[in-house]
Formats: sequence, C-alpha cells, structure tokens
Amino acid sequence: MSLPTLRPAPPVSDRGGAVLVCGAERIDGAQLWERVGRLAHALAARGIGQGDSVALLMPNSPDFVVGFLAITHLRAIAVPLNAQFKKAELAFCLRDCGVRAVLTDAAGERACRAIAPRASPYGEAAEVISDLAPLIAAHPPLAPSRRSPDEVVVVQYSSGSSGRPKRVPRTHHQLRAEVEAYVAAIGMSPDDVVFCAIPLFHTYGLGCCLLAALRSGATLVLLDGRDPFALARERALAMLERERVTVLPAVPLIFRLLAESPSGADLSTVRLALSAGNALPRSTFDAFQRSFGIELRQLYGLTETGAVSADLDADPVPASVGHPIPGVELSTLGPDGAQLGSDRIGEIAVRGPGVTAGYAGVPDAVNRQAFSDGWFRTGDRGRLDAEGRLFITGRSKLLIDVMGDKVDPIEVEDVLAVHPKVREVVVVGVAGPVEGEQLLKAVVVADERCRERELIRYCQERLANYKVPRLVEFRDEIPRSALGKVLRNNLA
Amino acid sequence: MELTAELEAFIVDEVALGRGIRTIGRDEDLLAGGIIDSLGVTQLVAFLEERFQIQVTDEELTPAHFRTLAAIEEFIGCKQPC
Repeated sequence: MSLPTLRPAPPVSDRGGAVLVCGAERIDGAQLWERVGRLAHALAARGIGQGDSVALLMPNSPDFVVGFLAITHLRAIAVPLNAQFKKAELAFCLRDCGVRAVLTDAAGERACRAIAPRASPYGEAAEVISDLAPLIAAHPPLAPSRRSPDEVVVVQYSSGSSGRPKRVPRTHHQLRAEVEAYVAAIGMSPDDVVFCAIPLFHTYGLGCCLLAALRSGATLVLLDGRDPFALARERALAMLERERVTVLPAVPLIFRLLAESPSGADLSTVRLALSAGNALPRSTFDAFQRSFGIELRQLYGLTETGAVSADLDADPVPASVGHPIPGVELSTLGPDGAQLGSDRIGEIAVRGPGVTAGYAGVPDAVNRQAFSDGWFRTGDRGRLDAEGRLFITGRSKLLIDVMGDKVDPIEVEDVLAVHPKVREVVVVGVAGPVEGEQLLKAVVVADERCRERELIRYCQERLANYKVPRLVEFRDEIPRSALGKVLRNNLA
Repeated sequence: MELTAELEAFIVDEVALGRGIRTIGRDEDLLAGGIIDSLGVTQLVAFLEERFQIQVTDEELTPAHFRTLAAIEEFIGCKQPC
C-alpha cells in the first residue's frame, strides 16, 4: 500500500472538480497528480530516491502539496520544516536529517544558502530548489513507486523539554492508520470542503487537513501566502464563505482572531470547527459562538501520534477533547506507571496504529522512557471520565504555549546560557494579555551589567520569533528546592 | 531620521533580526518575503502606536497597510492630524 492510494475520490461536480483551492488557483485531481509525477521525475533526475530525506521549507501552497506528494512518490522521506526558523534552528534540522535537497521559496532560499554547505552528509551543499514550476514543466510524469507499509514517509520535529527538538519518523502504515481513523471519526466525505489556515508542516495540518482531504476526496482550501493571520483574517473569512467550507480545523488563536473580526461572515456551511494545539479558552469558545453560531470542538493530537481524540458528542463538552478516534486507546498513568481508573488525574498515554515506533537519533533510554508496550507517554496530564472522554488538565513536560506554538524552555535557556554575561537562566511562561496564551519570560542571573534588550536581541538572532522571550527579569539567584531543583513555579 | 529610514531600521533591527536582512527596499513586499510574521505585526503595531501616537484599530489590520514601507508610511500619514 503506498501513499498514492490517498488519491482523491471522484470529484464533486458542483465544485468544478477542484481538489485543491488556493487563492484564485483551482486544481483538479488529474492536474494535481500530473504535477506530482512531473516533479517526482525532476527530483529522480537529480538522484533523489528511496530513503533520501528532502526538506520542505515553504508556507502553505500548492507547491507544498505537490512537493510533499512528489517526495513520497519516490519513496523518499519528506521533512516538513517551520518556515519561520532562524539559521541555527534550520541548520540543526537539516543536519540532523542529512537532507539531500530542500524544496523552498525565495524567502527560504535566502536562509538555506547560508547553511546548506554544512547541512548535507553528502560532502557538498544540499540542493536548494526554490522554483518548482520550471522543473514541473520540463519533465514528463513518473509512475509512483510502491512502498512497503513500514517505510518512513515523513519526519517531523517534536518539542520535548530536552533542549533540542526530537526527530519523529512516521511510516506509511502509521500515517494511513491515523488518517483513515480521523476521516471515519468525523465522517469526512467528498462533499466536504476543508479549510486549512494552520501550517502544513505541522502534524495537525498535514494529517487533519491535507491527507484527510486527499483520503476522503474532500476539497482542500488553503489560505495562501505568508501574510500573518492577523492581517489575513478578512481574506480567510471571505474564502470560508465563498468556498462554502464545511470542516474548519484551526487553533484557538485563529478562532479568536476570526471571532474578533469587525467584518463577520456567513459560516452556516461549517458543520465542524475543530480546535487543537493549545487548550481552548472558554472566552474563545463563547466569542466564536456569538459571532458565527458555531460551537467549537476540541481535538487532541501530538506529533508522535497524529490525531488521538475529538469531541464529537451530539452536545459538545467544551472542556473535553472527546473520545479516542477509532483504533486509538487512551489511558492515564500514575507515578509508578500503573493505569489509573476513571476520573483520576495522571499522565496521558496513547496506543494505536498511528503512533510512531520511537524517536530517531536519541539515546535508547529516551525511547524506553517514552514508549513501552506500544504505549506512548505524552507528557500531558489529564483524566478520563466514566464514559471515556479525555480532559487535559496540565502538562508534566515543561512546554509553554505561545500563540499556537509550543516552546521548549530548555531550548531557549540553552541559547541564553552561552551569552557571555549570563551566569544562570530559567525560562518560564507567564500569562499574556489574552486568556490561554502565554508570554515567555527569561529569569536571569547576570555576571555583569546586562540590559534586557541585549538578551532579547541575542535570542532573536538565533530563535524563531515565537521562541524569543518578551520579558527579562534579573535576579540575584534562581530559587531552588533543598535538593537543588529549580522552582520554576516560583518564577512565573 | 527620515520616516522610511526609521521604519526600515525598526523592522531590520527589531522585527526581522536573525533573518539575515540588512536593508529593505521602500516597495519590497514585507509579508510575502516572510520579513514580518504574526509576532512581527504585534511588534510593529506597538511601535507605530507609541512612536506616532496613533491607535491602530481592528479594521485597519489589513495587508494593504503593512505590505511595504511605503504603505506603512502612507498609513501613518493618514492617521496623523494635518
């Protein structure tokens, strides 16, 4: 079974056959797969084939979709990356995966050119391809290669309280299992139109938007371009209305910005609006319902597992992330690893056919701690009620929610710790001006006089903007327990 | 400092730091070029409100006002009393 089995179902006639819509561009299934075959041919002509890693560094666009599918066409491994990454972050991921090539755009090319010579294990620069159109035009389509279910299709990165993102490989079988279960759970069909404003490089966008739409034959509508969502929301609302969108997966920040839009829109065609990424604040649930008459439903998933559960009850339970999707088992574990009964709070563990077999490139001990008997320990805390609904109550990992992204504070601390004036640093999340969103604060013990601005700039040069602390607090010492453990809660 | 230069300096030094950008053309697309992201919009709006004593409303948060240095300049001009 290979990814091309995700080819769309026959098109729905009243949408003109489009399976992919982006701005004014409408692409039908035949056009999409022809482009995929042509690009795959072009990549094969460059020596890319089975098992090679190819990075995708671009915003949501038809090129992203075609690029991802072309990579899988060749039995190569797609490595979708955050287009907001700064040089050091990008260099780490490209080197970590040993990429053969990077498919990107003009903005991404600028960043790649500076680091690619050090990123490839092939002794020369990884090829940076920033314009796919000429390649697609110049090559005839290549027939897809069949891959075995256990071959890795995609590698993504997961934040995880370890200072460096961890590499998460997922096989064709795992992706397919996740997508089929999700499609079945929400009843996605060729009648659906899925709107994607969340990044396709992320598991949520890739699985719940792109692959789910392809698998079910639904139309995928991409909010195109690099415009920040705060500036693009009017266009998003117009697209939602014009394309008669039925399924809207997004994050709380997007739902809040849409609800606060001064222009409004008729979203009566939306049958399901799913919120994931961070906890959904009650104020956002209420605001969205007031503005559009739609009750948001929460979905839970992780890079390591894909979609896990969704609140699909007839009457939504806003605080819950719902029941597991088909084939997924959920449990909560006590400190000794024993499974807890209903309504007892513990670490959430997930088992199912979509779960990765383990992190790549980490010590065995890391995988032994996270994966056991097919169960993945998520680091999130929660409880299952008597009916099996999951409620997230917190996190045992240190991750901090910032504008729809998760930040590993250790990664930020590692950057600041090597600043010549910093003796000690701890990064924590503090409540931001908007419910449910946090700001990063660096608590610093400095060796010499040091200004807040200089530390923020130091981070800006090395970290994607969402990882940069907005506040710096100077202290004489970091509070610690009697055993020397940093008391992070005393710093927030 | 001339307005264009002041805006350019703020975006290069504050918003786009770490992206390897040293200069920005007056008509260069700040959004398509990935120079301003979501947090960048927040930073830029806060800067404009403080530096030019203006209020940026929800209705004014559109790409047309923030796409280029020239557009931002024009937007500030419209917001300030003559």
